[in-house]
This record gives sequence, C-alpha cells and structure tokens, in this order.
Amino acid sequence: MKFGNLLIAGLVTGSIYAVFAVCVAVWYRVSNILNLAVGDFAMAGALGVDNLVRVRNWPLPAAIAATLAVVAVFAYAYDQIVLRLAQDGPPNGRRQQEGIVITFFFTFALSFFIDGIAKVLFGTDVHAAPALWGGNSLSIVSGLHLERAGLLVLVCALVSGSMFWLYIRYTLGGKAMEACGENRLGARIVGIDVRRYRRIIFIGTAVLAAIFGIVESPITGYTYLSGATISLTGFIAAAYGGFRKPGRALLAGLAIGVLEALLGGYVSTEYGDTVMYAILAAMILAWPRALGFESAVSS
Amino acid sequence: MKALRSTGLLVVTGLAVVVPFAQQYAGTVFVLALCYAIVTAGMAVQIGFSQQIAFSQSVFMGAGAYGVAMLNTHLSMPSLLATPIVMAGAGLAALLLGSVVTRASGLALAVATLMLPLIAVGYLSSAGYLGGSIGTPLTGNLWEGASTEATAVGNGLITVAVLALVVFVCTRILSSDIGLELYVLGVDEPTAAAMGVRTSRRKLELFVLGSVFAALGGAVYAGTQLFVPASLVDPTAELTLLMMLFVGGRKSILGAVVGALAIQYLYGASNWVSVNILIVEGVLLTVVLLADPDGLAGLVAALARARPPAPAAVPLERTNGAIGHARLDVLPDSQRADGAIGTLKLLECIGVGKEYGGLAVLDDVTLTLPGRGLFGLCGPNGAGKSTLLGVIGGSVRPSRGRVLLDGTDVTRLPPQERFQLGVSRTFQAVHLIRGRTVLDNVAVACLSSHRSSLVRGIVRSRLAEARAKAAEALDYLGMGQLSGQDVSSLTLENQRMVELARAIAARPRLLLLDEPASGLSGPQRERLAEVLRAAGELACVLLVEHDLDLVARISQKIFVLARGRLVFDGDPEDFRSSDVVNSLLQGGRGGRVPPP
Repeated sequence: MKFGNLLIAGLVTGSIYAVFAVCVAVWYRVSNILNLAVGDFAMAGALGVDNLVRVRNWPLPAAIAATLAVVAVFAYAYDQIVLRLAQDGPPNGRRQQEGIVITFFFTFALSFFIDGIAKVLFGTDVHAAPALWGGNSLSIVSGLHLERAGLLVLVCALVSGSMFWLYIRYTLGGKAMEACGENRLGARIVGIDVRRYRRIIFIGTAVLAAIFGIVESPITGYTYLSGATISLTGFIAAAYGGFRKPGRALLAGLAIGVLEALLGGYVSTEYGDTVMYAILAAMILAWPRALGFESAVSS
Repeated sequence: MKALRSTGLLVVTGLAVVVPFAQQYAGTVFVLALCYAIVTAGMAVQIGFSQQIAFSQSVFMGAGAYGVAMLNTHLSMPSLLATPIVMAGAGLAALLLGSVVTRASGLALAVATLMLPLIAVGYLSSAGYLGGSIGTPLTGNLWEGASTEATAVGNGLITVAVLALVVFVCTRILSSDIGLELYVLGVDEPTAAAMGVRTSRRKLELFVLGSVFAALGGAVYAGTQLFVPASLVDPTAELTLLMMLFVGGRKSILGAVVGALAIQYLYGASNWVSVNILIVEGVLLTVVLLADPDGLAGLVAALARARPPAPAAVPLERTNGAIGHARLDVLPDSQRADGAIGTLKLLECIGVGKEYGGLAVLDDVTLTLPGRGLFGLCGPNGAGKSTLLGVIGGSVRPSRGRVLLDGTDVTRLPPQERFQLGVSRTFQAVHLIRGRTVLDNVAVACLSSHRSSLVRGIVRSRLAEARAKAAEALDYLGMGQLSGQDVSSLTLENQRMVELARAIAARPRLLLLDEPASGLSGPQRERLAEVLRAAGELACVLLVEHDLDLVARISQKIFVLARGRLVFDGDPEDFRSSDVVNSLLQGGRGGRVPPP
C-alpha cells in the first residue's frame, strides 16, 4: 500500500514537472529559446483566477476566461516587442551569433518581470485557484487514495504531452514547426513563417501553463515567487528529455516525480531531494549522449 | 598593460569611496557590492569569456562564507587568516568536483552544475548546525580596528585590495596567449581541439578558477557582513550573480565589477525600486541585452569605437589581387633544407573502418603517405572522405583499424594531441573565430602555451611571439594587409585563405584540407593551387576536393573513395584515364576528367 500511494503521489508530482517540461521542450524546438518563464505563466494563471473570484467575486468561468485572455495578450505583446528585437536581426548580425545563452536570459528577465507584476497585483500570500473538481479523495481500492485534483493534473499532463507529440509526429504543421528550430533560414526559404510558429507556440505554451497552474494550484498553493521553482523543475525534466522531445520530456517528468516520491518515502524524507539531484547530476555525466544533450547543443 | 590600468582604476575608485564613506550607506553598499564583484569577475572569465556555463558559483560563494564563519566561531580563528584556508579548501573541492563535471560541455555542463545549488539548499535547510534555513552569524571582522570606524575602513580597504588582485589576475589571463586559447574554446570547442588546445584541462582550470574566486568573494562577504544568510547558496542567488554579470558585460572583467555595483546600488536606490525590484531588474536586463548582448561594457565599447572613424577596410583591388600570391622566396622555415624527402611513411592507415549505428561509412581503408607531397582524396558525396579526414585528424574514432603517424600508433589520441605531433587541418565549412582579427585567428595555431597552466598566463604572456609567427605566415601567403581585420568582414575566399594560413602557420608535418576550393572562382582557385603546391614542398598535404581538374593538376597521387572503400589509387595520368574513376566521379554523364 505504501508503495502504491507513493507511486500515485509521485505520478501526480511528476505530471506537474511533465507539463512544464513539455512546454519548455516544444517551444525550444521551434525557437531555440529555453523558456525559464513558463512557471511564471502558471503562477499568474492560478493567482489571477483566485484574485478575480475571491476578491472581485467574479464567477469562476469568467475569471478563467479573462485570466487566460490576459496571459495570451501579454505573451503576444512580449513576442512582438522583445523577441522580435532579440531574435529577428539580420542573418549574420551580431545577435544571431550570440545563440541560446543570451535568449535564455531574456526569458529569465521575463520571469522576474512577471513575478514583480504579480507581487503588485496579488500580494505575497499563498493562494490557489478554486478547485475545479471538489470532493473527497477517490479511493481506488481500500488504502489507495488519489486526490481529485491530482487525477485532473495527471490527465492534463498526459493529454497535453501526447497532443504535442502527435502534432509533431503526424501533422504537416508539426513538421514545419520542427523545421523552424532545426534551421531558421532553411525553413524560411521553403516558405515557413518562422516568426508565426514561434509566436503561436509561445502563446500556446503560455496559455497551457496558465491552465495547468489553475488546475494544479489547489494541490500545492502558489505565491508570486512560485514560478521560478516550477520553471526549474520543468527545465530539468525537459533536459532529461533531450530538450527537444515533448514525448520524452513527459516521460522524464513523470519518472523524476516518481523517483522523488520513492526516495522521500524509502530513503529519507529530509535528504530525499538531495539524493535525487545527485542521481540526476550523475546521470548527465554518465550518459550525456543517450540523454540527448549533444543534439540539443549542436544546433 | 591593460591589466595594470584596470587594477589602478579600481584601486583609486575604491580608496575614494571607502576612506571617506566607510561607515555611511554609500560605503557599506560599496563594500557589499565588491564582495559580489570578486565572484562576478571570476564568472566573466569562466562563463562570459570562455562560455563554460556553470551554475555552481553561489554554492562556492556560500562554501567560502560558511567556511570562514565556522572557522571563526568554532576555532576562534581571525577571518583574515581563515580566508586563505577556505580558498585552498574550495580549490581542492573544485578540482575534485570539476574533474567529474567538466567532462560535460555546453548544456550538459549547465544542467549538471545546476544540481549543485539545489543539493546545497536541501542540505542546508535539513542540517541544523549551519544555522538551518536562516543562516549563521560570526564575530570576526576581516580587520579588527581600534574603533568601529577603523574596522569599517580596514574591512573596506582589504576588500578593495582583494578585488584589485582578482581583477589583475583575470585581466592578465584574458589578454595573454592562454586567453586566446580560452576564447577559441568558448566559441568553438572542436576547432580549439584541432588547433592543439587541451580542452578538458582548460575547462577544469576554468572551473577551479571560477570556484576559488567565488569562495574568496564569499569569505570576504562573511568577514565584512558578519552574517552568512542561507539564501547565499540558493538558485536565486545564482540568478542574481548571473544578472550582475550579464548587465555589466559578460566578456569584460571591469564590466562584471560595474554590474555588481549597479545591481547592488539599485536595491537601495529608492523605496519604490526596493518594493518593485523584480520589475526593475526584469526591465533593466531586457533593455540592456536588447541594446547590446555584451551588456554595459559592450555599450561603452561601442561608443568608444564610434568616436574615431574606423579605419577603412583595405580594398583588395589595391593589392592587385595579391592575396594568395605566395612569396615562395621567403619560406618561413628552412624545412626544405633538411635534405631528405622526409620519412617514407609519415602516415599509415591500416584497415580503417567506421560505422554509425550499423551503417558502414568507411570499410577497410588502407593507405600510406610519405613525408612530403600533395595527395588528392576524391569520391562522390557520402563516400566517406570527410570521415576519413576526421579519423586521421583525430576528431572521429574509427570502429576498426589503426592510424600510425611516423610509426607510432595514434588511433586513440584526441585531435589536440595529434596537433602536437604535427597534424593540422581545415574544415569543410569555414571554422574561423568570429570577433577576432585575422592575425589572432592565425596566431591560434602558433601558440606555445598548450602545456602551460592557466597560472602562467598571469605571470607572462607569449601572445606577442605567437602573433609574430602568425604575421610571418600571413606575409608568406601574401595576406599581411588583412591581419588587422575582423574575420567576419572577409569575403569567402579570404576566409578560406585565412583558414589555410592558420593550418600552415602551425608548420605541420601533415596538413589535412577539406574542400578548400569550394565556393571559390576560377582565378581564386589558381591562386589556391599555387599555395597548395608550395605547401606540398614543405609537408605532406592530403586534399579532399571535388574540383577534379584542380586535384589532377597539382597532386602527385590520388585516392578515390566510393561507399567507404578505396577503389583507386594512382598518379594523375591513370586518374584521368581510369574508367572506374570516370564512371564514379563524372556520374552518368559519360564525361571524363578533362585532360590537362
């Protein structure tokens, strides 16, 4: 029973990592930018809905719709103003040569900015969006429990992860998106609007992250600073999926969650995380190639 | 003397702030900022200049601070004495840790080192004796003065002195020949290896340097602030350090110092800023990076460049197309005079095979090359020519077979070690180091620093010698007038010629050229042919080329690869008349290699 409950808890935590890993991986694949702000969109979604419902007494559906709209508009504006200037220089210009290090820091600055705005708007307390599916935890067999929100989170992760996987693998749009990341110039020459794909996927992953924040926040609760931690776990899980592969990122996220729960349950509640990070670091050093780091770096 | 200038500037500013204002707000923030600047200066060398991105600085800074606090609290050791002990400990730890993590490069290194702050935070919040998730106080100032003012001034002056020393060391390293190695390593690791840079050693040295300076910054922090907060080691602290580095200018030591000062003063600039610090930092970083990827230092440099009109690029017409007109009368070395034709067997490939996931790219290739002469390697696309060149150069490890250089088995030696034995190469796509002059690009191949440690770069720079050798090689190739130009501004022909000059400047025994003529026009190819002939007099040249006429005209022997197998070897006469060659290389068009 202990193992079963740990496994369930691990899968729920893991699916949190997995969704953000999928968002990071998909957008990296199209734009070659590692998005460190993805967790901040989740935080903004959850706290935005909470604020509208609790403080301004909006009905829940209207609050969700309004929050997602704001996130989408903000992502659109950011792409149009900052990313255009940051990434769309002349093909041999200075910015093009700087590569992923600099663009990574743009998203890092974005993360700071969103957190700062959230602090002004929502304050510094822990809040969460109202539970979408309230009620007691589900009992699968006697002794095995699953929170309703946890089930939603798991379903959300599996649906979004496999959706992107299918999109890239089986649709023309997905292939075009892949081409944008592989070779920007080449993709443009064959008529793919690289900037449009970058924009669509950026807005898409921002909204997906916000939705997920709304679904997940009843489990953990968010403050204005939660975004960075979420992004970090997503970033790490994406790393173990080779940064470019949403399907593998999904599995890596789930695996890390399960590993974390099992280490916490069987090894040490205090040092479980420490041991897990040590294992993760050792894995990168032992098999950089198998984990897909080389391919992530080469482009 | 750039190092002395930077250091002097820093000392003067430091004295001007610390002595009068040590006990006031401006002075205390200044000293706190300098503690961070000690860390960011090291980061500018490791992360900015050499592009070895590691997220472990905050951990070493924390280790330095906690180390001093522990020695001071438990052993009553003065902070000033504890500092070198802590640095030595950090250096040893960095050496052990670094020899594991620097096996990775790029993103793998970044993610592996990202685990360190996460582990440290988890450990600190669980282990009680270091003050848990709050931190630990200490009582020992760096300088115990007679009055509080004397203590504050003493602390400040020691901090300024330490930072000045760090800035001096970092600037000296970057402006030395070893700095050039580090720059190439950062821009393009495979090219650095092909040019003899011992990449894994340099990466380890950089990791140790960054970690030791981070620990030093932490030690000074503990000795001046008298409290070590646990937040010093968490990932947020790492992000703050990176923010300082990138706002200030990641490739400039002084930029990194200015960045630390700017961010630290920003925290207290006004009440509104302190409350909304995240918004301000986010906007500031975005605006600075949009204005210039090299931060404030980059902006200043751009302004300085803008004032005097840049010297006009030398129009090549004026030199009457002399680029590539090798002045054969001034051969750089008297290598010709050593009499013998060189060894009969300089290079031997014996039964070389290479497979990628079951696909055989090379299959049982055996060839021998003597110490002098020009040899062609031809074959249709995908025949394995570049792979064979990689196997000989050391960048590709063969699945089977052996490679002998002068009778010594070098099959398992990496490119940088083969470079030391006299193997030099060019790449199919031009691999020049952008952002550096032509002279420095060629000087990369003339460095004698590969065996020296990073520390030697502080004491003595041999960059001038390397540049002199490079200038000689450029003159030899008739390209002296290009030496001051940035390589990005060159035409394709000149970029290829610079790459060739770089390969020749190393005075190799074996020169591997991968399609040097591709993209060149007819007259340009003639000039290239002249240079190649001259090179063949000095060394053994193996030339991969699709221009069959060119190959047939200048080579003394030609090898043809098809589907990974050697299908022909012989002199140009046989090459032109061979049916195998003509059916393979002229495709189904029924043409023949044109007669001379």
